[in-house]
Amino acid sequence: MSANILEITTLTKHFGGLTAVSALDLHIEKGEILALIGPNGAGKSTVFNLVAGVYPPSEGTIRFKDAVINGRKPWDLCKLGLARTFQIVKPFASKTVLYNVMVGAFLHTNSTAKAREKAEEVMAVLGLEHLRDRLAGSLTIADRKRLEIGKALATNPELLLLDEVMAGLRPTEVDDMIAVIRGLRDRGVTVFVIEHIMRAVMALSDRVAVIHFGQKIAEGTPEAVTRDENVIKAYLGGDYDAA
Amino acid sequence: MSRKQLDATLMTVAALVAFGLPLVVTSPTYLQILILLFFYAYLTTSWNLVGGFAGVLPLGHSVFVGIGAYTSTILTLQYGVSPWIGMLVGGVLAALVGVVIGLPTFRMRGAYFCLCTIAFAEGIRVMVENIDSLGPLKVNGPRGLLIPLKDPSFWHYQFMSKLPYYYIILVMLLIVLTLTWFISRSKIGYYLAAGGEEPEAAAALGVNVANCKLLSMALSCFFTALAGTFYAQLMLYFYPKGLMGLDLSFEIAFIALIGGRGTIAGPVIGALVLRPLNEFTRIYLSDMLPGLHLVIFGLILILVMLYKPQGLTAPLSAVYDKLARKITREPNAKGVAA
Amino acid sequence: MTAVIQATLNGIMMGAMYGLTALGLTLIFGVMKVVNFAHGSLLMVGMFSAYWLIKLTGIHPYLALLIVPPILYFFGYYLQDLVIKPVFRAERQVREPLTVIIVTTGVWYVLDNLALMLFGAEYRTVRTAISNKSFALGSFIVSIPKFSGFVIAVATAVGLALFMRKTKIGMALRATSLDREAANLMGIDQYKVYNIAFGLGTAIAGIAGCVLIPFYYVYPSVGVVFDIRAFIIVVLGGLGSIPGALLGGLVIGLIESVFSQFMASTWTEAIIYAIFLIILFVKPSGFFGNKQDW
Repeated sequence: MSANILEITTLTKHFGGLTAVSALDLHIEKGEILALIGPNGAGKSTVFNLVAGVYPPSEGTIRFKDAVINGRKPWDLCKLGLARTFQIVKPFASKTVLYNVMVGAFLHTNSTAKAREKAEEVMAVLGLEHLRDRLAGSLTIADRKRLEIGKALATNPELLLLDEVMAGLRPTEVDDMIAVIRGLRDRGVTVFVIEHIMRAVMALSDRVAVIHFGQKIAEGTPEAVTRDENVIKAYLGGDYDAA
Repeated sequence: MSRKQLDATLMTVAALVAFGLPLVVTSPTYLQILILLFFYAYLTTSWNLVGGFAGVLPLGHSVFVGIGAYTSTILTLQYGVSPWIGMLVGGVLAALVGVVIGLPTFRMRGAYFCLCTIAFAEGIRVMVENIDSLGPLKVNGPRGLLIPLKDPSFWHYQFMSKLPYYYIILVMLLIVLTLTWFISRSKIGYYLAAGGEEPEAAAALGVNVANCKLLSMALSCFFTALAGTFYAQLMLYFYPKGLMGLDLSFEIAFIALIGGRGTIAGPVIGALVLRPLNEFTRIYLSDMLPGLHLVIFGLILILVMLYKPQGLTAPLSAVYDKLARKITREPNAKGVAA
Repeated sequence: MTAVIQATLNGIMMGAMYGLTALGLTLIFGVMKVVNFAHGSLLMVGMFSAYWLIKLTGIHPYLALLIVPPILYFFGYYLQDLVIKPVFRAERQVREPLTVIIVTTGVWYVLDNLALMLFGAEYRTVRTAISNKSFALGSFIVSIPKFSGFVIAVATAVGLALFMRKTKIGMALRATSLDREAANLMGIDQYKVYNIAFGLGTAIAGIAGCVLIPFYYVYPSVGVVFDIRAFIIVVLGGLGSIPGALLGGLVIGLIESVFSQFMASTWTEAIIYAIFLIILFVKPSGFFGNKQDW
């Protein structure tokens, strides 16, 4: 059993003629928080979708807990302990918050009572209890993002992929969210985030990987990465050939 | 009195009224109207299993009524099998057919499923109308099948009066309602609702959306087919156009939508509103102006969809909530979320 | 053999009529993601409009082409604006608004039965200047109204395709069909686009009505015949595809006409359904549909 919960080797994805991700190597250790950053269109979401099983990779392997998971379906991966949130949140809008979280909680039980219990527990962790009976469609953006995490967390994931959960939040809400994600890690969940808000990335992550045009251009501690010349060029435009 | 006690009391009263109604309604004509009302409520509740909870719109359910009626009747007429057994055979057959329709279409946009169910139902109807016999099985083409009178007995599913039919369909309705209630509160119900609303999000939470839909489709088709056998034994005669036409398929969907799809009471409320309306406008208006009753039907449908897109159940249960709160004197009787 | 070729010709020409009906349906679906169950009824409205116009004024049937489609455009535009749009608004969070489908079904019931109340159930035809005209193509006879119907159908499809590509409104329609949220953000009024799409689809039904009247009969539920075929055609051609609609129409027309040479016409209907189901299993996205039509 290696210390890495997720190991990605030479991962490549073509869409028609376009190469969205190219020969990407990446690993996440159990218990760490890894942030994947990069300019718009760099291929971050594609990496997430590949890992989460939305579509199969063109080349390369994805190992989760030492098993190759290439081409496994999202619902199977979720059962293995890999959960995700969506950048554009997808609540079950006509249902209550409790109902939404229960859908996730049903993964490991067939009993409605147990699922409700689990959901209540998750809602307490995320501070969603007071919204219990509200319809998901009526929540604010910040609460929707929280609910999105709640649904995923209710499946008891070992690895949680968070796709831009800070986007659209006010600064104080970002601080709350940072605390929430740290709390998750303290509960033993390994966290893999895509994030645009650098303040959050700096505050949260143990390591940061930067991709640009589908290729990794830097990896390391947040401080090291932000000083990296390639990264600065990628973000500021500059000479793309340097990548 | 607590809210739970109130609900239970009202439910018991409703059941008692339903069971006791034939004591008051003795005219066979009115009894027949009631039987058909329950028949439609039953069909719609069965439809609701997939059309309401799985977030798809099947518009060809009459084909499953047809499969039920033809299977049990052919087995009775040619092989002397009791309709009760034929009913189960028809149900299983319908479930299989439902899965075959669902397999390619549940993975695509909902419109495909919707159109596919129509095409499938119409295709089967046209084929039945063109077939006189299928191997050893006598189908009788467009003329349909006539069930000769036998000694009335439970085993033969034939009775002297309408009364047994009334109780059979009432019990069938209660069974499928109970099943719906049970499903809506269980894992599969949560999964169906989630998959119907946001398939990708549901898949990411471990839900195999297509499989859930297939399961609900199979259940829905099974129960729909049972109603086919009931109809055949009630009328003792049926033909493809009347039994398997699109009119029936659409009426089922209309009842569900007006009542409130995806709710337990919706199909019953829808049937209570639409069936009498349908019977009376047809009786009193169609002589004056042919088509007027269908214009009214369509207008009601449009108006309900415009002003109460969730159907009539939602506003009615809000009213009931208010009343119940007054009766039970609980200021916050909202209780556990349904 | 001669009979088969003659049947092929007839099939292609009738198929063009089916394709013309399907064109409006596929346009509305492509933009709004709604299967318009009232489409056959809109065709019926188009046919009755052409029928009464020609019957009462005696104008040449193709002059009606200048009058009926514009009227139908506004009919469709305001039908969508007043009846369908409010339901859309109520369900805007839902990706596939099934309630809207049911509302179009209600419109279908109302229109068909209003026509029944107004005009009765009988089949009506109107004799026009070209009704019985035909020309010889080698040893085969081609009916002039059917042939011009074919030409007009193809021209309409080409015109619509160009309109969608070259005009600003057409591009707004396409943008909305690709991603309504994004189009909204770009300042396109989603509901106005829906009105236009519905109006155009209805106008095309008006064109079909005008070209059908010289050789076809009209009655209140005439739409149903075309409706069911149009549904099959749009799935066959790929939901939302313009060339697919025309091609699918030709295929259905051909099958119907050629097979009826060999078997009872009631069977050809069953064969159409069977082919439809086979396509659905083998290539569900149709000839021109996107594989991932989500």
